[in-house]
Amino acid sequence: MSFLDSIAAGLSLVGNFEAFAALFVGVLIGTIAGAIPGMSATMAVALTLPFTFAMEAVPAILLLLGVYKGGIFGGCIPAILIKTPGTPASSATVLDGYPMAEKGQAGKALGMALWASCTADLISNLSLILFAGWLASFALNFGPPEFFTLILFSLTIIAGVSGNSLLKGALSAMLGLLLATVGLDLVYGTNRLTFGDPNLMGGLNFIAVLIGLFAMPEVMSMVWDPKPHEGKARGLGSDSVTFGEYKRCFRTIVRGSFIGVFLGSIPGIGAAPAAFLSYSEARRKSPNKANFGKGEVEGVAASEAGNNGVAGATLIPLLALGVPGDVITAIIIGAFMIHGLQPGPMMFVLNKDLIYGLFIGLIVSSFFLFFIGSLAIRLFKYVADIPRGVLFPGVLVLCIYGVFAVNNNIFDVGVMFVMGWVGYVMLRNDIPAAPFLIAFILGPLLENNFRQAMLMSGNSPEILFRGPITWFFWFLTLLTVAAIIRAGIRATRSMRSKPGAG
Amino acid sequence: MKFAKFGAVGALVFGLATAAAAEYPERPVNMIIPFGAGGATDISARTIAEPLGKVVGKPLIMANVTGAGGATGSVAAMNAKPDGYTMLFTRVGSHSVNPAMKATLPYTLDDFRYVTVYEINPFACAVAADSDINSMDDLVARAREGGVSFSSSGVGSGLHLGGVMVMDAFGVEDPLNQVTHIPMDGGGAAATAVLAGTATFLCTNSSALASFVSNGQLKPLMVTTSEPVVGFDAPTAADLGKPELEQLVGWTGIAGPKDLPDEVAAKWGEWMQAAAGDEEFVSRMEAVGSIIDVMSPEEANDFIRTQYNTFKDLVDRLGMRIEG
Repeated sequence: MSFLDSIAAGLSLVGNFEAFAALFVGVLIGTIAGAIPGMSATMAVALTLPFTFAMEAVPAILLLLGVYKGGIFGGCIPAILIKTPGTPASSATVLDGYPMAEKGQAGKALGMALWASCTADLISNLSLILFAGWLASFALNFGPPEFFTLILFSLTIIAGVSGNSLLKGALSAMLGLLLATVGLDLVYGTNRLTFGDPNLMGGLNFIAVLIGLFAMPEVMSMVWDPKPHEGKARGLGSDSVTFGEYKRCFRTIVRGSFIGVFLGSIPGIGAAPAAFLSYSEARRKSPNKANFGKGEVEGVAASEAGNNGVAGATLIPLLALGVPGDVITAIIIGAFMIHGLQPGPMMFVLNKDLIYGLFIGLIVSSFFLFFIGSLAIRLFKYVADIPRGVLFPGVLVLCIYGVFAVNNNIFDVGVMFVMGWVGYVMLRNDIPAAPFLIAFILGPLLENNFRQAMLMSGNSPEILFRGPITWFFWFLTLLTVAAIIRAGIRATRSMRSKPGAG
Repeated sequence: MKFAKFGAVGALVFGLATAAAAEYPERPVNMIIPFGAGGATDISARTIAEPLGKVVGKPLIMANVTGAGGATGSVAAMNAKPDGYTMLFTRVGSHSVNPAMKATLPYTLDDFRYVTVYEINPFACAVAADSDINSMDDLVARAREGGVSFSSSGVGSGLHLGGVMVMDAFGVEDPLNQVTHIPMDGGGAAATAVLAGTATFLCTNSSALASFVSNGQLKPLMVTTSEPVVGFDAPTAADLGKPELEQLVGWTGIAGPKDLPDEVAAKWGEWMQAAAGDEEFVSRMEAVGSIIDVMSPEEANDFIRTQYNTFKDLVDRLGMRIEG
């Protein structure tokens, strides 16, 4: 079958109303679910799965993919408006999105998030179509030693999101690493820091920690000192992004998209680290470096490009290898199997029409995302108009409901409140929350991959230098650490040279 | 809404059956799935929920309560009121391997009343397709030399115990030290580890391996059921003279808290017989490589305990018990 024949066969599969309707509905459901704090993209996909059992294979899978993409995008809406990432992947969007909303630029932040998301989505889908085979075989070269070095490098992001004081950032990261060790030990299966409570055996719930750390402190500061907030609404500010701003951020968006594609094609990393890595790279390269974390539109673009870049790319290991890259694709693989399809290299031979049908659907989904996203923004941005005295109690209710719904466990709600106090203390002392979160996400990955590598090699550290991929990341890590130290020394010197300071 | 509709239809079709039982169930039933969305248990649970909801006549509320290899959800069900309105999906990992291995698990088998086991998943052992290991004999010979590893979805999972049990059955001495166990984060990651060369082999549900085998990425060496598994060009454990490995199968069932009344347990036995006959359910589960075999409450209890005892003996003999 020639390429054109394949496309024709694919078109005949998706070229009907049902397939496009499924995709459209999927993106719509996903965007709404993603916009509700605690209702993550994962949950939305899981809840949609049973409804696809009775459908044809192509609309069923397109529906799920639509929910996935919509969910990852939708997460940026509450991240920007109420400092609560709707889905873990949009945690990095909070860093600049919320300060922008504070400044009355919610409309602009949301607009940029949408443009960045759709651009990244398109790049990600095209990468899937053009480089799936190549990226998939590359991804299989990633064993525990390679993961370890990649994650070690990613931890250097912490320096980029620490704000003014690296020391405070490091403190925050340590706390995150510590809390990430709660739960079962990977290798021995023993309890760690569980204090005999079965609820702690599974570790601290990620969403509960996330919401506790970001949203709760805002609510608490208002309760603590309501005066400055009385009757205050932020206003929408300038409505949309200008083309000039998009152009200015375009390099960042493309870079973020490829970081997303790269990390997405490697099974087991997920969208949140991609967003953070894209964010820290954007900050490093940007002329507006100092403005990052204070409401820089480029930061929003970087983060959203990073996490949406992952969405298409996670299908690379799924379709080319039959390997789920994260929890969401694990659910989608279930849908393939229910329909008697077995993702993997043979699918490109046996079900070529289906593969091309999915490709066509995916390309179309980027446009659906843009359309539905614009509508969603238009509706949701009025949230910024609501006075805080009315908005925050609603946020609190949403947070509690959302955290409970993740795992149907009231204990998680307790975790959220405790983390809220931790976050509040951190906020009062200017300790940034982002390093905590990055450490909390990456810490277990770092530890597990290190220990798996040690098991593989019989405790010989040589395995951590076993090939070009590991060397590459060691090199990057050294380079970044050197740059951080140099910047630190320079900052100290300039402080000393100023009379009266230091 | 959807469940309510099913409920209405169910009440019509099975009107007689429900009328006879009068009291139970008079409100929706909470069903706890102790594993994450998209996993084998979750898919199985949500697939049976459709025909089961029709038979029960009241909505079934499915809730994933995940964490600690199924322990978090299991504890939630154990502590629930034994009135039949909170039931738990049980699985080989959470209700036979983990209790056999982990001393500090917050529950034992006696904390539950098993009402059915409805699905059996054969286990299969496989290596990477490009490996020069072509049979269990090759694998065992290599294991004796050392340097063989197997991946699992975590400590105390069926995959963990399965790898050790198979090595032990084939006469590899001191399998805990002779063969390296590499725990990964979940079943998908375990299969990927073998694919990427991180581990030599793995033993897991045939359903988790089916797509890799049919795609020619993994090579099956053995299946543990007495009958050959479709699509797996590999001998059965009995063919290889190890019929005791037939105990090594995955399964999904339903249980309630231990004080569940007899009539409620009996009700579930009837419901499951009716629901699992649903053609769509059977064809869907068979599509993912499962065997549908509904056990009565008594049979389920015997089945689970026999498997648990087999595993417990192995764990005690090899000193695999996790004390911390």
